[in-house]
Amino acid sequence: MAGLVRLGNGIAVTAIALALAAAFLLQFVMNELPCPLCNLQRVALALCGFGFLLNLRFGVQPMHYGLSLLAALFGAAASGRQVLLHVLPGSGAYGSAVLGLHLYAWSFVAFVAILAGIALLMIFGGEPEPSRSERRNGMDGLSRLAAWFLIALTLANAVNSVLLCGPIECADDPAGYWISRYLP
Amino acid sequence: MTALIFLVTAIGMVAALRGYRGLACGLFGASLLASFAWLYHHASDSLKLAF
Repeated sequence: MAGLVRLGNGIAVTAIALALAAAFLLQFVMNELPCPLCNLQRVALALCGFGFLLNLRFGVQPMHYGLSLLAALFGAAASGRQVLLHVLPGSGAYGSAVLGLHLYAWSFVAFVAILAGIALLMIFGGEPEPSRSERRNGMDGLSRLAAWFLIALTLANAVNSVLLCGPIECADDPAGYWISRYLP
Repeated sequence: MTALIFLVTAIGMVAALRGYRGLACGLFGASLLASFAWLYHHASDSLKLAF
């Protein structure tokens, strides 16, 4: 069962990295520029992945699940607020719909799914693994690859935020990249 | 600001992979607190939910 739980954590890290990659794909292909709340939902996704990554690196521990739970709750709050901003008929929407739902609605679904997934992993995980020492790394190659994929996408989001929003604050409804003002 | 949060999160993840668990958890906490503060900053519009 411990192997299955570790596999679940590895799949979670990969799925979150793929979700961040999909957001980039929509941004660059469909020109869906992320608003401030959208960027915060991306942060929450990365932080959810962070908790799973800690499980892969240091062994499955309730504290690591707790960190992912906090991040998922934060993400649900950010996406839920954006859903409420547009829930009334005639209140408009932000961006295009994908498979019938806007990205913030999909985001809310994803955070609820993460909460449910963590609950299942905790129920079927059994006893916590003994904490691996700080120096001993028990990650296999695939887990390491998934972890670096998530880190690369988190760093790409940092660069993207600067290019889109500038150093401080993003426009509520960004029409273009901040950096384009300084390009010839 | 969001870029800084992403950067701190990524540094925390690298610290975790390098074996610095305490530092990683601290950077996670800092990122989450900054995210809450930034959400509070952006969630200033009142929600119009009455039909």
